[in-house]
Amino acid sequence: MENICKFSSNAVADLHTNGIVDVPLAQTGEGIAECELLKWFIQEGDEVEEFQPLCEVQSDKATIEITSRYKGRVAQVLHVPGSIVKVGETLLKMAVEDTQVPLVTLSNLENEKQPDIKSNKDFNSGVLSTPAVRNLAKEHGININDVQGSGKDGQVLKEDVLKYATQEGIIKDTLVTATADLGQLLHQEKSSLLESAQVSGHYEDTIVPLRGFQRTMVKTMSMAAKVPHFHYVEEIDCDALAELKASFQTNNLEPGIKFTFLPVLIKSLSMALSKYPMVNSCFNEESVEVILRGSHNIGIAMATPNGLVVPNIKNVQSLSILEITKELSRLQQLSLDNKLSPADISGGTITLSNIGAIGGKFGAPIVNLPEVAIIAMGRIQKLPRVADDGDVYSASIMTVNIGADHRVLDGATVARFCNEWKRLIEKPELLMLHMK
Amino acid sequence: MLIPQTKNIGLPLMNLMRFKGLPILQQLHIEEQLLRTSSENWCIVNDGTNDPTIVMGVSGKPAELLEIESVLDDQVPVIRRFTGGGTVIVDHGTVFVTFICNKEAVPNLQPYPRPIMSWSSSLYGKVFQGIGDFHLRENDYVFGNHKFGGNAQSITKNRWIHHTSFLWDFNVQNMSYLKHPKRAPAYRSARSHLDFICRMKDYMPRSTFMDKTVEATETQFSLRPIQLEAIRTCSEAEFCPSSRFLTNEELEAAAVALQS
Repeated sequence: MENICKFSSNAVADLHTNGIVDVPLAQTGEGIAECELLKWFIQEGDEVEEFQPLCEVQSDKATIEITSRYKGRVAQVLHVPGSIVKVGETLLKMAVEDTQVPLVTLSNLENEKQPDIKSNKDFNSGVLSTPAVRNLAKEHGININDVQGSGKDGQVLKEDVLKYATQEGIIKDTLVTATADLGQLLHQEKSSLLESAQVSGHYEDTIVPLRGFQRTMVKTMSMAAKVPHFHYVEEIDCDALAELKASFQTNNLEPGIKFTFLPVLIKSLSMALSKYPMVNSCFNEESVEVILRGSHNIGIAMATPNGLVVPNIKNVQSLSILEITKELSRLQQLSLDNKLSPADISGGTITLSNIGAIGGKFGAPIVNLPEVAIIAMGRIQKLPRVADDGDVYSASIMTVNIGADHRVLDGATVARFCNEWKRLIEKPELLMLHMK
Repeated sequence: MLIPQTKNIGLPLMNLMRFKGLPILQQLHIEEQLLRTSSENWCIVNDGTNDPTIVMGVSGKPAELLEIESVLDDQVPVIRRFTGGGTVIVDHGTVFVTFICNKEAVPNLQPYPRPIMSWSSSLYGKVFQGIGDFHLRENDYVFGNHKFGGNAQSITKNRWIHHTSFLWDFNVQNMSYLKHPKRAPAYRSARSHLDFICRMKDYMPRSTFMDKTVEATETQFSLRPIQLEAIRTCSEAEFCPSSRFLTNEELEAAAVALQS
């Protein structure tokens, strides 16, 4: 069973410039921002196969072979041995066969009547920039050639495109939402493209090849669908949680930190997991073994412009709520920028999906293998409740649905675990009992 | 006695080679050969090497890392190895442990530096259980905040190597050949060499360490002892290892470049 392994760009965004694809430095690992290029195994003009080693880089303690994502021909090598390359920066350009990444999609919706490669002036750019930045420019209808690049060798960076767009009045505010509130993490891509298609009167079919995160989702969900799931639903009163959040916000001494419900939910989840470690485990089908994971690496499902991604906060059992808040914010920013590292998205032990931030009463989530439980949290709604004395009062209620692997977990365990979690959320002062 | 054997069923196979006093360059050549030409998993334990030798990482610059004048005066051999990482000076007091694995050998282990580093620390965690507050600190093995083991890795398309030099004992004078590296881990907090490292012999007998390491490895792999001769015959002729001694000329040129 493979963990999800995602790279920081996908082939749809690795745009076509007449069949030339920018290949970024991606496969390096957690917390590594840049590497030294040690040597090339190929040179310009060479034909390479998929997975063939292209070069060797060094990061800190490791030398790493970078392999090719595509089959094609090396068009241009952009760095020499000894140079420092940032993760995400283009390493080389490759001429790739069109069958690998069909051109039909975006150009169809943008402005051409027919998908005609020759007339796609948008793509014919000699400017140095990464695929993600080209994509951003296109989203705003900007010709990347018009943008002044402030990066090395005149490379056009994301900030350059945003600055240009703001100057031209194309966008009013910066795109980057740095808030920790998941409610604002809405992705706009496909819906806005569809809108523009309808406005211009083009109702043709669109083929969207799934790459990157989306392609991974196909694979992982197909595997997860084979797991016998059961779902457990519960309502949680979030009045105390709302008071706590308000208190954090009012008494906040650190600027730039936005308090939301999620970190408290995450910390109390970890407390409940300490009592019910079976819920924080991994199931190994072949050896029929359950590994009770010592760390609580809590994954948070995030909707990004590139699809669903689940980075996790490591070792929540050892983190304070403030530390969780900061780490959550860091991961959210990275996922928006499409800069999550493989380690950020691997090693998770349980997943939280705050789908309620977008909408919905509750979901029926599918476990994120090889984990055994996933929790979908619906929107907090003000609902009428009946007190013991028969009076009706209003309470902020969140409905949660725990999806569990029935090969490992039974209803009673999940119910007891959920009761514990609910208790800690409804009475957050109980968290202090475990404070060290 | 049936139980220990049945435990091994289903565990991936790993070849174990044990040496004592094998010259470090030879060890590095063997490791690189196995990484690049073998498709099996390997564990190498070398109990000390012979003469004191400086070993730098693949892109180490002698002028930045070594006191070149002293190194040249005392004719200390300097090797550039094939893995990344920092500079060490090794001798008979150093114990080496190396793991060379296929990507799928350890289930759910992502073949990237950090996950491999964490996996190795959990293995050594079993060895040092209850002893000296062992943990992985950034990329080093420490007791408390004193380093006793340094790590380096190389990750190829389908395999990876993680090797460690353990300071079971060291000669204080030898440390003076090494400069303070420009890139030091944050937890070093600008401490001098001697305030930063510690000796493993203060925590555990040498043979106990090696035996426990093998035992800990056996919980994840089915170990099979192999002699050096068994690997000598195959592909050695075609394979050209990259770890090598730096020549006096190279060191002198580095010293000159530094001064100018």
